[in-house]
Amino acid sequence: MWQTWVSSYRLYFQMVSASIRAQMQYRYAFFMNILGWAMSYAGTAVTMWVMLHSFESIEGWTLWELIFLFALAILSWGVCVLFFFHFRSLDQYIVNGTFDRFLVRPIHPFFHFMAMKFDIGAFGQLLFSVLALSIAFWKLELSWGFVKWAVLFGAVMGGALIQGGILVLISAMAFWTTRSERFYWVVMFPTKSMMNFPLTLYPRLLQWFFIFIVPFAFVNYLPALFLLEKSHPSYSPLWGTLSPFVGLIFFWFCFRIWMAGLNRYKSTGS
Amino acid sequence: MSLIEVKELSKQYFIAKRQEGMGGAIRSLFHREYLTKIAVEDVSFSIDAGEMVGYIGPNGAGKSTTIKMLTGILVPTSGEVRVGGLIPYQERQKNARQIGVVFGQRSQLWWDLPTIESFELLKQVYFVSDGQYRKNMDIFTEILGLDEFYQTPVRQLSLGQRMRADIAASLLHNPSILFLDEPTIGLDVVAKERMRTFIQEMNKERGITVILTTHDMSDIEKLCKRMILIDQGRVMYDGLLSKVKDHFGKMRILIVDLERDNPQLRVQGAELIREEGLRKWFRFNKEEYTAAQIINRVSEQAEIVDLALDEPEIDAIIRQMYEEGF
Repeated sequence: MWQTWVSSYRLYFQMVSASIRAQMQYRYAFFMNILGWAMSYAGTAVTMWVMLHSFESIEGWTLWELIFLFALAILSWGVCVLFFFHFRSLDQYIVNGTFDRFLVRPIHPFFHFMAMKFDIGAFGQLLFSVLALSIAFWKLELSWGFVKWAVLFGAVMGGALIQGGILVLISAMAFWTTRSERFYWVVMFPTKSMMNFPLTLYPRLLQWFFIFIVPFAFVNYLPALFLLEKSHPSYSPLWGTLSPFVGLIFFWFCFRIWMAGLNRYKSTGS
Repeated sequence: MSLIEVKELSKQYFIAKRQEGMGGAIRSLFHREYLTKIAVEDVSFSIDAGEMVGYIGPNGAGKSTTIKMLTGILVPTSGEVRVGGLIPYQERQKNARQIGVVFGQRSQLWWDLPTIESFELLKQVYFVSDGQYRKNMDIFTEILGLDEFYQTPVRQLSLGQRMRADIAASLLHNPSILFLDEPTIGLDVVAKERMRTFIQEMNKERGITVILTTHDMSDIEKLCKRMILIDQGRVMYDGLLSKVKDHFGKMRILIVDLERDNPQLRVQGAELIREEGLRKWFRFNKEEYTAAQIINRVSEQAEIVDLALDEPEIDAIIRQMYEEGF
């Protein structure tokens, strides 16, 4: 058991490093990609700044608090992109038949598919978010003890797992419908944009939905409440400390659905 | 017990029926009707260790579906499959260690990386020891000339090179069974010959059992003693290739382009099997008449602009087997 873990671990790193070398073959695309993402996020941040200029605050959140909230979401999204972004294009593998090769090899197909790509385009997200978080940290004059740093770390890990879970779920759709990429643009993209603003901006039902059904609130809003010592009328900021656990449970659930989809694929071969 | 046992194997697909127009598209979101398509029906055969078997049939006959069930990609609807004592769809990963698979149309190599790196990754995937890896790579390089393109990314390889790399990759972990799905499709004569020699060698030297699906009768002729013919999901023939060849291999097809159409064109000893405008197809038995005789008889009745001589293709053979029974 221990040996299998170690060798899987090594195999993962070997495949990941192969994926990085493959992506580095397209250097120009790589740098443009990073620049593109960083610019697009900077654009959103500037929009926030313009808005806050006339409103002072949104739902009691000041400009730099909002930037913090936004950058926290992008940071965990960046980590998620590294590992899971290619899951959205599972449909291409299924339609052109290349998915079958994951099923004729003696390793777990989920693990194999996950290890096929390590999306270094995510450096755009990571670059922007670390920079933005640092500036916000300085502007808000924060000083944290160990607990808050641990909660931040947990939020990034949990957030990556929650968003990764959604990507896995979207990719599982390909097993039933032979489509996944378009679900990404319909589901993930708008939801992520909503998370750039405080949850209290939205109707109560939607807030409930993002806490208990699709736990996006654990990606940035709830941890930010705890980290910035803010409050919500009904949910305690302590909920924000639960992100990694919520992430694990949610991801496991999405993984089970993916495996159920794989079983369906094996009986239809669509 | 044989190495591969297939008993009354069937596979049905359910395909969503497409409905016409916008209204249909919306309706199908909520309610779908399914059509049942039988891909493989009641197929039985057994293959012994060391055999080379041609699994042939026209497009959509169920060849790939059978291979997918033998490799564990698909779960059968009913019937039994055993490969080396394992049930592939239940012990897929274990089965993967004893088989090698090559899909002619799709590479299993890492597209953007130098070819040699795919081998190194597969070494890890299959936990191949350093010694075995080096030994195998030496042999494959010698026979297939892999070193010509070790450093070239897979996407830049020619089709022939890519197939050579693919088949070597499938044998890296010393499988006892090799599945080849259209291994020579699109290759030129020289590349085809090279592939066939390699397959033959692996079978002879290592006793690898080979199951080969193909359109190309000459693949089968060069490699296999036995062929299993499948059409519309059913086994039409399972037996010696020589028997089929004796029976059908003596037929030849003469294709002629005429200058003017002659509806009264009748050729003694040859049968007009197809015509498209001025182009006619005649089938004759080469043991009864020579091609020259048939050409003479045609040219007595009409001016020939161009001609070609052909062996019957697998589709034609199957059609003939249908008509005459086998």
